[in-house]
Formats: sequence, structure tokens, C-alpha cells
Amino acid sequence: MLELLEALLASTLDYAPALVFAALGATLSERAGVVSLHVEGLMRTGAFVAAVAALSLPTPLAVCVGMAAAAAVAGVHALLSLRLRADQVISGMALNLVALSLFSFLLEARFSPTGTPPIAQLSRHGLPALEGVPLLRALNGHTALTWLALALPFALSFLLYRTAWGLRVRAVGEAPAAVATLGVSVAGLRAACVVGGGLLAGLGGAVLSTSTLDRFEQHMPAGLGFMALAAMVFGRWSPLGAFGAAVFFAAGNALRVGLASSAPGVLAVVPQGVLMALPYALTLGVLAVQGGRGQAPAALGQPYDPEHR
Amino acid sequence: MSFRPVLFACAAALALSACRSKEGAGAQGAPSPGPAAAAPSQKVGLVIDVGGRGDHSFNDSALRGLETWAAGKALSANRYTPLPPGALEASLPQELRTLTPPIRAVAVEPVVLSSKAQEDYEPNLQLLVDQGAGLVIATGFMLENATETVARRNPSARFLLIDSTLLDPAGNPIGLPNVRSVVFREEEGSFLAGALAGLVTKGTVGFVGGMEISLVKKFEAGFRAGVATTNPAARVLAAYTGNFDDVAAGKQVGADLLAKGADVLFHAAGSDGVGVIQAVKEARAGGAQAWAIGVDSDQHHLAPDAVLTSMVKRVDLAVYEAARDVAAGRFTAGDTALGLAQKGVGLAEVRAEFPGKAEALAKVEALRQRIVSGGLTIPATLEGLPSFKAQP
Repeated sequence: MLELLEALLASTLDYAPALVFAALGATLSERAGVVSLHVEGLMRTGAFVAAVAALSLPTPLAVCVGMAAAAAVAGVHALLSLRLRADQVISGMALNLVALSLFSFLLEARFSPTGTPPIAQLSRHGLPALEGVPLLRALNGHTALTWLALALPFALSFLLYRTAWGLRVRAVGEAPAAVATLGVSVAGLRAACVVGGGLLAGLGGAVLSTSTLDRFEQHMPAGLGFMALAAMVFGRWSPLGAFGAAVFFAAGNALRVGLASSAPGVLAVVPQGVLMALPYALTLGVLAVQGGRGQAPAALGQPYDPEHR
Repeated sequence: MSFRPVLFACAAALALSACRSKEGAGAQGAPSPGPAAAAPSQKVGLVIDVGGRGDHSFNDSALRGLETWAAGKALSANRYTPLPPGALEASLPQELRTLTPPIRAVAVEPVVLSSKAQEDYEPNLQLLVDQGAGLVIATGFMLENATETVARRNPSARFLLIDSTLLDPAGNPIGLPNVRSVVFREEEGSFLAGALAGLVTKGTVGFVGGMEISLVKKFEAGFRAGVATTNPAARVLAAYTGNFDDVAAGKQVGADLLAKGADVLFHAAGSDGVGVIQAVKEARAGGAQAWAIGVDSDQHHLAPDAVLTSMVKRVDLAVYEAARDVAAGRFTAGDTALGLAQKGVGLAEVRAEFPGKAEALAKVEALRQRIVSGGLTIPATLEGLPSFKAQP
């Protein structure tokens, strides 16, 4: 039993960081009032660029390059939706499609259709003291990014709820006109959050190619970006909520994988497909229960027009 | 995942031009005279399954049979160049070097089309027929329906279907006069993999399958039978990833089995297997004693320390022989099944070192000879396992 739980915990900690970072990135951007459907594309950007950069740079540095590339893509979203006031949903989906095809093209042109050559993975660490402790030893053997994924939600939560800057971010997502009357630049603040969200989502993608695997693989991130959006909604647009939801989804996924080998009988009763659909079904449930806009920022998706009354 | 189909549909639409594009320069460059330049070169087309080129497994094996062995060419920067002298011989595994007649390049010109989605199979096969290919090769059981449709529509074209016979809707084999089909007795090769795993393990072995279908279950059945033969006390954990093209899923399932104590993982999961081997590599880096057994191609090069052996399926040989027959004008239709006796399946050279290696290999070899001589029949289904285990 203990062995089972250990495997479950280790598997969750391996799978969750990408989801956590992406969900935090989406949360930051949406709290400022900008829809971030482009998270999937940002993750793909981060994963591809980090893997390619790692072919010639040290891997930790390559992760930063991947984040920067994703931030640049997020910058395009900011430009389209804030300066040009394009429809944010369309802009986000367009960026997803561009990222999907662009990196498929670059992958096939430069490497092989299936993936990049292997790179040096991020190193894995552990506390020797934990090695002898049952259950807790599952915390060992992960990369530094796993630890960051456990700490960052609290940092972002502090930033959003305990600092003046965070108050402005939340206000700009609820009532941008009120923020503007205080002399704060709505567009500037929103752009900062969109680009910051890009950094985080790019980090989520880079986790996949530098920590989960040791290469960029053609399907990355295989829908994880949308699952991160589901985690954000399920977590009601708060960093800690998104974190909890992301870990919950990751644990559910680990449970599905774990059940297959430990209790094949269960999967004979509950089909795998049902378990795979669970995160989305739960998200739909939450949306249905809270009804309408619920906890979403009031000004989400609305371009700010100072002339508008 | 509700969003994925939408995403992939859009991807398919955007990549439309890419998926129909020719991979090699087969038709563009001037056909270079092959080693057997006397006969005019025939086009041999090959449609690869969605796992794609570079899966280090099934598809790469088929490509090796056509490009390297039959055509004597290498693909670099999207163009075919003739292999340097000796390279073909060097690419042959030990057990195929002594074949008579030996494997030599013949007068064929490869044309390879990739499939990005299942909808591509039929147009890809038809495109090769339209281009006048003397033989059209469909690699993978997933292409069974498409092959039947295109073969009926073009009775004068010739086809090779790998990994499946043509089946009617009720699942009974049907033969078409222009289709050769080759299936493999994977259970026999998997049995040897299981036998070796049983001799190496400390108590628990794992099996990672791709899609949960009868073809993959053949591997599991053979593997379980092999483990039960050499190590009846060993526990076998089995899990399926549900696909053949998600490396991350393969790694997650592999890591899960390793965490539950499995120390030898055999995979039959296409590209996912790269993730399984990755999981074993990471476990070894963390100090665990673990091994992976590859599938379809010799996967030793993916992780030289971690890969114990590979259950090779000589897709390359089946493809080569069909191309050779077409070039020599003696292609025949019909269904063939290749097992250990026909060298259609087998274990790759065991390069890894472990205690008691010599005795273990001797035991596996003895079992192989019993199967080849017909003294041992391996179950091809999980349902056949209990009666196999009940045998003395």
C-alpha cells in the first residue's frame, strides 16, 4: 500500500510542475483581464526553444531562453489584444495554431519529424535524510523545477493579494477605468501581466522538454495547456486554487496510470476514457455550479478604451 | 481530452501540404544507377504509419529494409545518396549476414510518404499507385482497411501489407490476388524476451503496451509465458499507454512500474517505448538496477547501458524480400507468418553485462531451439496462458 502511495506521489510530482506553471501563467494574465487561450502555444514555444537552446547551451540557461521566447509570443498577444484591441479569444487561438505549425515545420526542417536529438536533462536532486523515510522519499529524485512549482504559487499569491502592485493587477481586471483614474497605465499593467504569464507558461513548456523528457517531442504539450486553463477555472482564478487544481489533475492522472498496473480489475469496470475526461468534466461542473461569470475577473476579455463610457 | 481533436483537426488542415509532400528526392533527382543497373529501376512506394520516421522501432525497421537494404541509399537533408561501400553490409545484424542469397541492393527506387493522421493512409497509397510504383508497401495493421480499398480499386498494382492480413468485417482473413501480407509470430520473440527477463530480474518484471489491442496483447502473452517458464515466482506487472506516439506517456507508465519494483521493462509501445527506456535510464542514474527490453528494432543505441536486448521483428527483412522479388519480377501474393524458425522475430544481440550472463543466454538459446523444432508452442493470447503454464 505504502509502495503504491509512494509511486503515486512520485508520479504526481513528475507530472504536475508543467501544469502548475502554465496554470499560474494563465491566472496572472487573466487576473489582469486578458484572456489567455494561448497558453498551449506558449508551452509549445517554451518546450521547443528550450530544447533547441540546450543543444548548445547549459540546460538551466536554455530553460531561460525558452521562457524568454514564450514571453515574446505573449508579447504578440499583448500587442494584438491591448494595443490593436483585437478579439482576445481569436488572437489566442491564432497563436496556438501558429505555434503548432511553426514548430512542427522547424522540427521537421531542422531535426526529425518526431523530435530533437537528446539534450542534457536538468539534474535531479534529493535530500539524503529523506531517503530512509517511507512515503516522503518520493520527494527525492526530482529537478529543481519541481520544488519551484511547489513554492511559486505561494509567492504569486503573496504578490497578488499582499502587495500594492497586486491590488492594481486585480483592479485592472475588475474595473480598469477606476485604475486609470488613479493615474496608472492600464495597458502597461496588463501588458506586464501578459508577458509575465508568458514567462511562466514558457517555463511550464520547458519543464516538459528539459525535465520530464530529454528532448522536444512532436506532440508537446499535447493539450496540457488547455488542461492548465481548466485548472485555472477550477481554481477560481486564484494562484493557490489553480495550484491545487493542477496538483489534483496530476494526481488523478497518476492514479489512472498507477491503477492500470496495480489494480487491473478497476479499469475493467471504469474505462480509462472516463478517467481521462475527468478534469474537463469537473471543470464543466464548476462552471455550471457557479453560473455565469462567477469568479472570473469582471473585465476579462474587454479591451480598455479610455474614451468609452 | 476534449480540446485535442479540435487542435489536431486544425493541425491536420494546416499541415495538409506537408503530409502529402514526398519525403525523399526519389522522383526529383535524376535516378542514379543502382548497383544492379542492368534492369530498369522500379519505384517501390512505402507509406509509414503516424508514428513517423525516427521512431527507432517499427517504422525505422521498414525504412531500413527499403532504403538501406533494397535500394542501397541513405537519406540525408531530404535527398537520397548512395551508401558508401560496405555500409550496407555493416548495417546487417549478425544473424542475417549468412543468408543465402545474401542481402544486396537491387534495382529499386524508394518513395516514402508519411501519414500525419489516419485519413492520410488511403490518399497516400493511391498517390503511390498513381506514380507508377511497382510495389506499394503499407507498414502497420492500421493501414489494413486502406490497403484493401486501394488494392481492390487498382487490381494491377501490387501491395505488401505488414503486420496484418486483409480481413473482412467479421474478422476473417481474405486474400486478394495482388496483395502479399506478412504477419509475425511476436509471441515467440516476446517469449524469449520474457525468458531472459525472468532470468535477470530480482522478482518483478514489467510490460508496457501501446494501444490495448490483440496485436499488442500477443507480445504480453508471449512475454508472460517466457517469464513463467524461467522464473515461475516472478511477478509480472502490465500497463498500457493507450497510444503509440506519446513519449511522455510512455515515460510516465514506465516510471510507475519501476516505482512498484519492476526491474526489467519490456515495451511494445512504438514511440512511447522511447519514454519507457528514458524512465529506465533515469532510474539507473538514480542508482537503481533496472533494464529495458526494446522492441521491433535493436534499440541498444538509445541507451547502451540500460537496454538489455530488443525483441526484433524483422520488418526490414519482409520489406526487403518483397522489394527484391518485385525487382526480379517474381512477386507473389499470399499470406505469410514469420516466426523464430523463419528469422522473422528474435532477440537482438545481448550487449549488456550482468551476472550469470553466459548461463542465462544458454538457457534462452535452448528454449529458442525447442520452439524452432516445434517442441514448444507459445500462446498468442492471454486466454491461452493458463493452459501453457499447466504444461510440464
